[in-house]
Amino acid sequence: MRDVLYLAWRYLVYHRLKTAILVTSITLIIYLPVGLNVVVEQSSQHLMARAEATPLLVGAKGSPLELALNSLYFSPEYPELIDYSEATTVADSGLADAIPLYARFRSRSQPIVGTSLDYFSFHDLGFASGRPMAVLGECVVGAAVAEALGVDTGDTVTSSPETVFDLAGVYPLRMKVSGVLEKAFTPDDEAIFVDVKTAWIIQGLGHGHQDLARAEAASGVLSRTDDNIIANASLVQYNEITEDNSDSFHFHGDLAGYPLTAVLVVPKDEKSGVILRGRYADENAGSQIIRPVTVINELLDTLLTIQQFIVAAVIIVGLATIATAALVFMLSLRLRQREIDTMLKIGGSRPRVASMLLAEVAIVLLLSSAFATAITLLTWRFGPAVIENIVLT
Amino acid sequence: MKRLGLIAFLLIVVACAPAERADVSTETRQGPPQVYTVNYPLAYFAERIAGDSVAVVFPAPDGVDPATWSPPAETIAEYQRADLVLLNGAGYAGWIQRVTLSESRLVNTSASLADSLIPVAGDVTHSHGPTGDHSHGDTAITTWLDVELAVGQARAVFDALVRLRPENETGFRARLLALEQDLLELDEALKDVAARIGDARLLFSHPVYQYFVRRYSFNGLSVHWEPDEKPTDEQWRELSAALEVHDAKWMIWEGDPHPETVSRLAGMGIGTLVFQPAGNRPAAGNYMSVMRENLRVLQQAFPPSL
Repeated sequence: MRDVLYLAWRYLVYHRLKTAILVTSITLIIYLPVGLNVVVEQSSQHLMARAEATPLLVGAKGSPLELALNSLYFSPEYPELIDYSEATTVADSGLADAIPLYARFRSRSQPIVGTSLDYFSFHDLGFASGRPMAVLGECVVGAAVAEALGVDTGDTVTSSPETVFDLAGVYPLRMKVSGVLEKAFTPDDEAIFVDVKTAWIIQGLGHGHQDLARAEAASGVLSRTDDNIIANASLVQYNEITEDNSDSFHFHGDLAGYPLTAVLVVPKDEKSGVILRGRYADENAGSQIIRPVTVINELLDTLLTIQQFIVAAVIIVGLATIATAALVFMLSLRLRQREIDTMLKIGGSRPRVASMLLAEVAIVLLLSSAFATAITLLTWRFGPAVIENIVLT
Repeated sequence: MKRLGLIAFLLIVVACAPAERADVSTETRQGPPQVYTVNYPLAYFAERIAGDSVAVVFPAPDGVDPATWSPPAETIAEYQRADLVLLNGAGYAGWIQRVTLSESRLVNTSASLADSLIPVAGDVTHSHGPTGDHSHGDTAITTWLDVELAVGQARAVFDALVRLRPENETGFRARLLALEQDLLELDEALKDVAARIGDARLLFSHPVYQYFVRRYSFNGLSVHWEPDEKPTDEQWRELSAALEVHDAKWMIWEGDPHPETVSRLAGMGIGTLVFQPAGNRPAAGNYMSVMRENLRVLQQAFPPSL
């Protein structure tokens, strides 16, 4: 047997170019569907990890997918807004902790997420430098944001207006970076975090301006009565919160009616989660509660269906490749007829000659399988790093 | 075979373990849970109820009014790290609205007493445009000067401490009852003095006694004077005008007034009494000793008739 393998190996080495092409083709045909499956599986796990880390979300009635994508991945499209009282209702129920989310505004392309301190502890986010925001007007930036904008603790970032032509809109708010998060390999790396009240200030629901009761602010007064001063539109509002003017910042109206995009709900236990979900089951309820895992699972099912079509196409191409390889082998046999005749004349039996030819095929298949296995293992081993550093950034 | 050996690369086994994301180290604090408060009465209540099982911290510097104090960023960071933050409510400590604290650790001790809060009359609001958003007047903040409300706040502190340390509920309850007993005894004694004061007109140097006035049905009028500042001529004129309709014989101060102010008031036939609101930690003693001293001052000024 060794002599057969030796002769087969020497033939393949001598015709190394043909051998390389055959091995490469068959390696790719084996690796493509397997490797694609590994990559998709790992990507799905990464996406699902984010969804699994978020037990429940409360939001306005409407598209669960839009609510999940905005709350988990801070997509630019945000759902219908809900009142801050929704968060208070959840917290007061005693069944869960409520983390408000207001992911509406942007600083250039980076999402600004209004939330509370509990968000950092819930997602186990550590700080590479600085500290969480302490006062209004401060922000915490994700690792990728810090890198992209070249900012660090003590620098500033500015919110972007929602529409370019909104001349009567709110001035952009300049925010001081109080801290930079450690790289988390999640969408948090791409976000700017502020207190939800700072997000309301960005929207213009809260503001700071001169004390209208003082003489210096006279030009901003429209009229006054004994117990009320009416300001006019020329009153200048501060676009940065500093130590000198922070006391002037205030909100009008009841904060319970202020907007959120979602409430991240962390039930105390499974039973509490079920009870809470039951309270939103009423069709007449003004808001909905979703399990992000369920929503993302449905999305991934759709993506996996597309993957299956791709795999089917690859298999068809693979069959065509194998057929082509078989044709090449058969043509090769015809071209080697003199060689085969020579081997027979010098004493080689027909079974032995056939064994040698089959050994060539076996070695090519074995090499291809080995290469495909090796590349698949490398994909499995380094796939998460590639996904995290290239796909997710 | 040598050549076969050279091409033995069928499987590449990665020896090193998969790269793991660095664990985010969470700060673990040694010692009992930390309870921060926004004023001294709440710190006193928490200390009385919890004893040594929690560390109660009230970080406002001595001599400042906690109601208007704005803590620096480092102190705000301490509040952020606290296991529990006791708020007075009623708009006390406006800085709370401008900082970021974990909502799950905040307790508004007067939340259940909202119906008993006193709106501040005469406060000037503002609005933006004739039909635009407008601000609302504030509420009086010194809720603990009404002993009934103080008891309500103490119970809210108890509830919060039990949620923090449920295993200590029995001890907390016993100490809460002792605190309530002390407060109720104080209340009874103040009622006795209030009965002797009756409808007599009183002046208050600062508008911080609203709950005290309501609780004991005093006939009081507030001005806005500072103990360590001499009133201006305008303020003296306003006082004279007020005395024409509110002929008071005593003015109650939150701290020792300026000696010149005392002598001028005496010349007008108005005596001065100091009734400390005890918003901040006293130089000596504690909340209860301060309130008992306040009581003694009133008892001395309004002794029982023989």
